[in-house]
Amino acid sequence: MGGMMGGWKRLSAWAACALMMASPGLAQEKTGVKSGFILPPGSARIVLMRPSVIVGAQSTGGMFEPNADWTDEARRNIDRAIQDIQGQLGNSVAAYDSEAEEAGALSGEYRSLFTSVADSVREYQFFPGNRLPTKKRDKGFDWSIGTDVADLPGLSNADYVLFISTEDHYGSTGRKMLQIFAAMGGVSVPTGLHKGYAGLVDVKTGELVWLNADLQMGGDVRTADGAQKRVGQLFEGFPGRTMPLAQNALPGLAQP
Amino acid sequence: MKRALLALAMALGLPGTGHAETFTLPPFTQAYEPQGVDERGAWMMADEQERLLRSSKFVIRDDGLNHYVRGVFCRTVGQDRCANVRIYVMRMPEFNATMYPNGMMTVWSGLLLRVQSEAELGAVLGHEFGHFEKRHGVFGFKNKRTMSDVMAWIGVAAPQSAGFQYSLLGQVYAFNREQEREADMIGVQYLAASDYPSSAAARVWRRLMAEQDASASARGRKAKHGYAAGYFASHPSELSRATTLEAAAVRYGDEGDEGRAAYAQALREWLPEFLGDQIKRNDFGGSDFILDQLASDGWTGSLLFARAELYSQRGNPRDYVTAAQFYAQAIEKGYAAPKALRGLGLAQLRTQQTEQGKASLRQYLQQSPDASDASLISSLIGN
Repeated sequence: MGGMMGGWKRLSAWAACALMMASPGLAQEKTGVKSGFILPPGSARIVLMRPSVIVGAQSTGGMFEPNADWTDEARRNIDRAIQDIQGQLGNSVAAYDSEAEEAGALSGEYRSLFTSVADSVREYQFFPGNRLPTKKRDKGFDWSIGTDVADLPGLSNADYVLFISTEDHYGSTGRKMLQIFAAMGGVSVPTGLHKGYAGLVDVKTGELVWLNADLQMGGDVRTADGAQKRVGQLFEGFPGRTMPLAQNALPGLAQP
Repeated sequence: MKRALLALAMALGLPGTGHAETFTLPPFTQAYEPQGVDERGAWMMADEQERLLRSSKFVIRDDGLNHYVRGVFCRTVGQDRCANVRIYVMRMPEFNATMYPNGMMTVWSGLLLRVQSEAELGAVLGHEFGHFEKRHGVFGFKNKRTMSDVMAWIGVAAPQSAGFQYSLLGQVYAFNREQEREADMIGVQYLAASDYPSSAAARVWRRLMAEQDASASARGRKAKHGYAAGYFASHPSELSRATTLEAAAVRYGDEGDEGRAAYAQALREWLPEFLGDQIKRNDFGGSDFILDQLASDGWTGSLLFARAELYSQRGNPRDYVTAAQFYAQAIEKGYAAPKALRGLGLAQLRTQQTEQGKASLRQYLQQSPDASDASLISSLIGN
């Protein structure tokens, strides 16, 4: 049984690769930095909001099946990976303390707001074919979640807030089989969703100064190694990073 | 009391206590933990939602109201069941209550505005708890997944079979309606086993239908109350729910105090707020119907004020004439809030009673000189 499953997994992985190669490469950008924004190492106090982590499977019909065990595991793995990468971020990053009951909801609302704004950035600015007139390349990177973010309890000493959210729908065996059979008939069935956002918000202005958003992230967050890879990808192009990674020295939209 | 009598009767092996049909509630498992991947996943999502909801601005935190709603719920389903549920009373003007798989329940203010007794409220809350006790969330999810899986395969294997896919989709809704029917039956059974009479359950749906009629008629439409629900309806039709619940209540034949007076008393201080929310929904017929229901024992100052607001919100020239009369009557009946004078003055200004209107507004400004609209109102008075 196990062997058969493995066989199916290999086969479906092969089919997924074949599909990916067949599809035209979308010139989707992944990173944006506010014009002129630089974050010299050691200059800022950054507070990390509780990461939003959702992990589950994708049924044959495409429904999301939330999985509590995977989500628990992923949350632990991602927390650990963020701790590991901290030394490379060039600035002090402290976890947000949401002990206060009211802050719990408000910070949750800001997490949702951040995800909505990040969705908009991805859809209306990162995808070249779909840019709004006010979000063309020469208009810079101009997004905000509002100045009220400074009112969140516990942010009085912070310069920046860091939001991280990941959502993973792992294609079930049934979904992958459907994909293979559909591919035989020339129909493309997408399988899995691996969405990750990381963004830095200026507490004083509410402006989004850096965003990394990707719908096809790598790294299986259910494993420690995979989570390391995912978090590494999430922080690609982080402005204050001491390790050279993305070409974000120039202001404006960085290339993926 | 009735529960105790029932238990006693059964212990003595008596044939019944005058009930046409008796039954015992199944034992309730305390501290139930979700089983399997699907249920645990559903609970996780619900837990996350509850983290946000419990400190939402829409939650009404008043101790008195929360205690009261919880009390009605506990008297309906019994102490052991009630202890496992967290109730959040929400400031939402629609007729609704929701149950989450992890035992979180929301009760909307629009529901509190519409039911008229503890028994009616208990019927709805018992229905919601029925969803929890029968784990409808997870079974509904599994059913939907199976159907969508099959539909996906058919879509790939036989793309021309739209009719079959359509029938599968219909089954998803039919399954949902079946769960609602089951929850209705559980709700009415809780009532029958409680001190409240089970006959209250059907009345909730009868009154909702009447409200829909009133709402539709004010919009120049006809409300349809079919016995059969639509193909894509998530719930059975109100008419079939009312009929089924009436039949069940006749079968149980139980009696008891509905708690009408106690309910009216408990909701008294909240009614102006909830009515204000309802009036903002721009549903003249529905709001007027609700006001009529609440005024069945006579129009109070507060109800008259709400009615005046309803008319001035619709805002036809003739509506201001009516509104001015209701504002004046509200004040006569002792409705003391300055905003009645404000409404009266504005309605008078719009109905050629300029001097009276200015006088009313002057009085309003005297009573609340620091009102946020004070400068606007003084400019209307013109000095």
